[in-house]
Amino acid sequence: MKVSDLVKIEGFKTVTLNDDTQIIKNAYTGDLLSDVIANVGEDSVLITVQAHKNTIAVCSLSSMPAIIICNGRSCPDDMIKAAAENDISIFTTDDTQFGASVKIAKALNL
Amino acid sequence: MKIKLDLHNHSCLSPCGSDDMLPSLIAFEAMEKGIDILALTDHNCSRNLEPFAQACEICQILPIFGMEINTIEDIHVLTLFKHLKDAQEFGFYIETLLPNINNDPKFFGNQNIVDIEGNILSTFKKSLITTCGISLDDVINECLSRDGLVIPAHIDKKANSILSNLGFLPDLEYSALEAIRPQDIKESFNKTILQGSDAHYLEHVGRRYCFLEVDEISYEGLKKGLIDGKVSYIIE
Repeated sequence: MKVSDLVKIEGFKTVTLNDDTQIIKNAYTGDLLSDVIANVGEDSVLITVQAHKNTIAVCSLSSMPAIIICNGRSCPDDMIKAAAENDISIFTTDDTQFGASVKIAKALNL
Repeated sequence: MKIKLDLHNHSCLSPCGSDDMLPSLIAFEAMEKGIDILALTDHNCSRNLEPFAQACEICQILPIFGMEINTIEDIHVLTLFKHLKDAQEFGFYIETLLPNINNDPKFFGNQNIVDIEGNILSTFKKSLITTCGISLDDVINECLSRDGLVIPAHIDKKANSILSNLGFLPDLEYSALEAIRPQDIKESFNKTILQGSDAHYLEHVGRRYCFLEVDEISYEGLKKGLIDGKVSYIIE
């Protein structure tokens, strides 16, 4: 799916959409970012509660085009700015990480 | 001169800190172990620093007034101040950022606020074990703007450390780094790497420490010593 297709998932809202040419094929759910860096596959969306600027650095290091911030957490301005600078899109949802993971798995036919 | 340094200790106020960890006893234990500069760094709270200041004066140890802040990234960072008042004010600010979750003494201890004699004055009601609503960047900015020192704690620990939680060290203005086994840290990160005891029990005070070359035993001497970086350890 395209990055912008994520907002078609029920309850997902766009915080910032950057570079919609990237295709999402998989997802990784995790809040321990060192584990994300070590294990994430290519073209994955990150599902996490870690709403801060350093998550953008992790996505950039690991070539992840998008992040889903769960549990209704809000994103600070410096995170949104860093996302724009690094062509990473951010979406939020009130879902838990599990709930968001299930919805993305269905959308990706995994 | 080479001084003995331990900048990471928890009193009975910290969750999981033993009730025996009275600020006065921590200072006496450190004195017996020959520590020259000692910090008290309770989790997210500064309310036992006053008796710590009094005890260090008696023990003739230079006190550094600290806290171990748990950031929104779940990273533990030591914030250290020269003046008691600055540390207390920063502590009150951090308290306002704590979530409204009450401490459960069954799991995390009593979180006692005490005086120099060890009398319990009150207990801290909110849980201090949680993350407080401040980012790593903001802790660093807030602390440095108050002339504090900021040191990411136990960077080689598998939980609550900057390297385990982020996977990398963001390029920020750390005053130094702390590791449990600095001799095993492969990269220098161009920072002085300290060892601290992270004591939650009395017998652990001064269990880890390091030697630092300083011009004088003072906060300014410590600050310069961290920049100069002439640090050494006892390798067990």
